[in-house]
Amino acid sequence: MARRVKNRFTETCKHLFLWAIYICTFLPLYLMLVISLKDNQQFARNPWYPEAPFHWENFAVGWAHIGDKIFNTTFIAFTTTILAIAIAIIGAFFFARYKMPGSKFLFFIFVVLMMYPGVANMVPTFKLITSLHLYNSHLALIITGIASAQAFTIYVLRSFIEDIPQDLFDAVEIDGGSVMHQIWHMVIPMSMPIIGTLAILRIIEVWNNFVAPLLYLRDSKLQVIAVALLHLEGEYTKNWGELMAGYTIASIPLIIMFLFCMRLFVRGLSSGAVKG
Amino acid sequence: MAEVILEKVCKIYDGNVKAVDNVNLEIKDREFMVLVGPSGCGKSTTLRMIAGLEEISEGTVKIGERIVNDVPPKNRDIAMVFQNYALYPHMTVYDNMAFGLKLRKFKRSEIQQRVNEAAKLLGLTDYLQRLPKALSGGQRQRVALGRAIVRKPDVFLFDEPLSNLDAKMRVQMRAEISKLHSQLETTMIYVTHDQIEAMTMGDRICVMKDGIVQQVDTPLNIYDNPANMFVAGFIGTPPMNFFRGKLKVNGKGLTFAGKTFTLPIRTPEHREKLLPYKGRDVVFGIRPEDIDSERAKSTPEAPRISAKVEVVEPMGSETFVYLDTESETFTAKIDPHKPVKVGTEVSLPLDLKKAHIFTADDEKTVL
Repeated sequence: MARRVKNRFTETCKHLFLWAIYICTFLPLYLMLVISLKDNQQFARNPWYPEAPFHWENFAVGWAHIGDKIFNTTFIAFTTTILAIAIAIIGAFFFARYKMPGSKFLFFIFVVLMMYPGVANMVPTFKLITSLHLYNSHLALIITGIASAQAFTIYVLRSFIEDIPQDLFDAVEIDGGSVMHQIWHMVIPMSMPIIGTLAILRIIEVWNNFVAPLLYLRDSKLQVIAVALLHLEGEYTKNWGELMAGYTIASIPLIIMFLFCMRLFVRGLSSGAVKG
Repeated sequence: MAEVILEKVCKIYDGNVKAVDNVNLEIKDREFMVLVGPSGCGKSTTLRMIAGLEEISEGTVKIGERIVNDVPPKNRDIAMVFQNYALYPHMTVYDNMAFGLKLRKFKRSEIQQRVNEAAKLLGLTDYLQRLPKALSGGQRQRVALGRAIVRKPDVFLFDEPLSNLDAKMRVQMRAEISKLHSQLETTMIYVTHDQIEAMTMGDRICVMKDGIVQQVDTPLNIYDNPANMFVAGFIGTPPMNFFRGKLKVNGKGLTFAGKTFTLPIRTPEHREKLLPYKGRDVVFGIRPEDIDSERAKSTPEAPRISAKVEVVEPMGSETFVYLDTESETFTAKIDPHKPVKVGTEVSLPLDLKKAHIFTADDEKTVL
């Protein structure tokens, strides 16, 4: 009897703890939705609970600011992700399958680069982009995005490819396949869970990227969601309802993508390939 | 023509490690050659050099009339079946079998025909749309076989294909592979560490140890006339019994003087062969089935060995008895109905007609 009571108490504590985590995780989303339907007075009076009348016009204002930026952001995010992973797979394949003098040292450099803060690179990268006449173009974001993704993506994919049995590579070779056949027909299909995970992480990172677009894009027509949201904040006043409506609109594509790819994401994480 | 000839083939790894040392081997067209030996003997490395998956450090490998040292695997006209099946897990059985043909740009109709034929031969027709994870071990191995068969290669290479199967499936697949060999009439090179597979499947067996070929011959010849102690002890279950002793000349003539028994060498041909080794340390070898055999029991002058019964293993068709002479242990294969109790002293006759003598220093067969 005492043991059953103790178990119930332990289980209750565990559930309370989980609920606390859920609340902390979803509270910002909840508040964002609730505040997006308020005006400033409703917000000042009560930011926590929904209150009539609901100001749906906030979404129209938010859409006006960021609606056309969704295409830009989607284009940059997906192009960067696809190309970054395509290039990283080849690099990871090399590090996983070939041992040559200096390959260990080269891989060590990649690991060090992962720890290097991107912000420290801002000035030299900006100078490089301008000298290549890529300033104020999406290519600047795409190229820098691809380059910055390589270290982590190669690091993760390499260990995944190393785990693929040697026999499978031999079988492709005996069947008449080249190195590219090995990558296309075997490595990529078998690495789908981790590729999916890396793709999702990369898309989210590019989508939310604020500094690089602010730095490299001058024309507002070329701008991305993260920077456009900034313009929802006035110099002297802040219309909280419109701001939150803008954030909600900006989040919807990512939430939809994550809902579709959740299984792939979880499979990729649980495959043990993403550490820490 | 698909004979495979290895001439002075060596594989040397970093640090001067010789995994394969000066292998000379001729595998005839349509022959089933088995490379057998303990783990680390170089048999898989030799196979991989024939396949082109390992670089050849020295020597040449010929397939047909061509030297293939620098020819990539896909151009050697070989197909390989791996120990771990190496099936592509994301492809169906059909796609696994068709993959090699697709890479070689065969027509779809040709691919379909070959795959269906191979599937019918291997009993896989009903499983063509399944993924490998939905198949049993034996089915997966058959898919691996099918993937090799559709290629219609000059040479099939098998790298311990039955090692991952349970005992019953292994027996079944052994028979299937042997049947396939008769049907396809193609050269097959089969690597295994299991001497039962080697004995039952091979037209000839190549026994390897430490990268060196010990003996190449038919299974029966290797069993009856092993070239050295290693081959004698490796082939045969239970393994051959070895008794250390000396060849002595005394009033009775030439005798083998072991620790617990002596054997007079009576046959003139045997005496002639063994006389040069008189006074030297030698090893007397006799198989378990030649102890207390019908012929030994019916030979009045057959020498006898006395020992204490330590373990009795009734196998049904025969009984293995493990005996101890206080200085040596050995095994005898006796009639299953003969009553034998653990702890009792027995005296068993030896059939010397099938016995062997090896030199103790270099372990080569003298008799």
